[in-house]
Amino acid sequence: MSARRILVTAKLTGLELARRRIALGLLTALPLAFYGGSVGRGGNAVITGGVAMAFSIAGASIFVALTARPVDPRLILAGYHPTELLLGRLLLLELFGILVAAVFSVVMVFGSDPAHPWAVAAGVGLVALTSVPFGLAVGGLSPHELEGVLVLIGVVGVQLTLYSTQLVAKFLPFWGGQRLLDHSVNANVAVGAAVPANILYAAALFAIATYIMRRQAPRVGGAARQRPDAVAGIHAV
Amino acid sequence: MPVSAETVPAADQVRARRLAAPSKAAGGPPALEARGICKSYGSRNVLEGRSLTVAAGEAVAIIGENGAGKSTLMRICAGLITPDAGSVSVTGRVGYCPQEPGLFDLLSADEHLEMFAPALGLSREQAVREGHRLLAEFAFPLAQRAQCRHLSGGSRQKLNLALALLGGARILLLDEPYQGFDHGAYVSFWEHVARWRGEGIGVVVVTHLLADQALVDRVVELEIVPDPAGGQR
Repeated sequence: MSARRILVTAKLTGLELARRRIALGLLTALPLAFYGGSVGRGGNAVITGGVAMAFSIAGASIFVALTARPVDPRLILAGYHPTELLLGRLLLLELFGILVAAVFSVVMVFGSDPAHPWAVAAGVGLVALTSVPFGLAVGGLSPHELEGVLVLIGVVGVQLTLYSTQLVAKFLPFWGGQRLLDHSVNANVAVGAAVPANILYAAALFAIATYIMRRQAPRVGGAARQRPDAVAGIHAV
Repeated sequence: MPVSAETVPAADQVRARRLAAPSKAAGGPPALEARGICKSYGSRNVLEGRSLTVAAGEAVAIIGENGAGKSTLMRICAGLITPDAGSVSVTGRVGYCPQEPGLFDLLSADEHLEMFAPALGLSREQAVREGHRLLAEFAFPLAQRAQCRHLSGGSRQKLNLALALLGGARILLLDEPYQGFDHGAYVSFWEHVARWRGEGIGVVVVTHLLADQALVDRVVELEIVPDPAGGQR
């Protein structure tokens, strides 16, 4: 595992993402529209806007994963470890997620004046944390952008229609964040296990993304790359 | 150059022809040895017991009809896909140039070189310097500094090829590498093949062009695996 490879991957992923200005603008505008559209309906606006933020971050992660798919085999053949590529993208996208979450927190705290502003920040932070591995996993499994985006719309859409206190909501990836956002506007809703559950969910999604990436990776022996003059041996049986 | 026939085990279903003049390094240890490769997609057998050996400093052309498994064999040799049976061994680093350029549309050539640099143990400066040298040899429009989406098909393919060559591969697997090249770049490509042979690099080129077959040491023809049901695919 090389820190330089992870950082180079993060840097170039950032460059590529920054050049998708229109897509990023639309992705960010979508949850803001959700929030703006429901801001007159009390605390629900915070929950809706916070959970809908997953559209931005998970959407960007899906694009990153799908854009890299044709190039990744060559990068791995050249010497990258699949996990290095994934960690580089995770690093960059989480930074992007923190930035988006900070903007959303400020907008919603000032726009809705919730009882527990800290819970708004923590809630959108958890949504951001989970959105990246969710997007990378969906991007790894989806054949094309359309399928990936439909899965994203489906999962986030279902999460948005449920209350955080409903059983089904607890099995969805953004429940932890949703619960904290719910708590921020409704003191009767306990935080409970929202934070550890959300972190576990994010870790599980990242493990799935790693598994998918490693399964799709070329099976060339690393020895061939590290010892250019040595016989690499059988690399495919 | 005259071509003479070489017998390859019938089980391999590979017809091969060797040029009379051997390459400089022919007879050395194989740069690539693929044995008994089988691959099917669903019920369709694409490769059935194919073998391919390439010596260091030898240039081999792979020809065959569409669907004969040329690209599949190259991808298996590169380690990109796993065969159902058989084995591949390679000496040193493999440089693989796919038929379809696998590039990031929103990154420039320099940024691609930077991306590949740490994988190959090169600094950014080394990779950009070596990459520019390779790209300049194929008349790539370096001055444009354009993102890949703004490059012509031929220029994308030149970058695709340069990335395969970056870092000093010992065996080059080039799947129709000059699609979209202009005449000058095409001629330059074959001059490079001759140079790589002289440097002891094994070169495998998938091609459809008859003229190319006179420029290599050996031509390997893949045939479509017959359908056991007797029908045509």
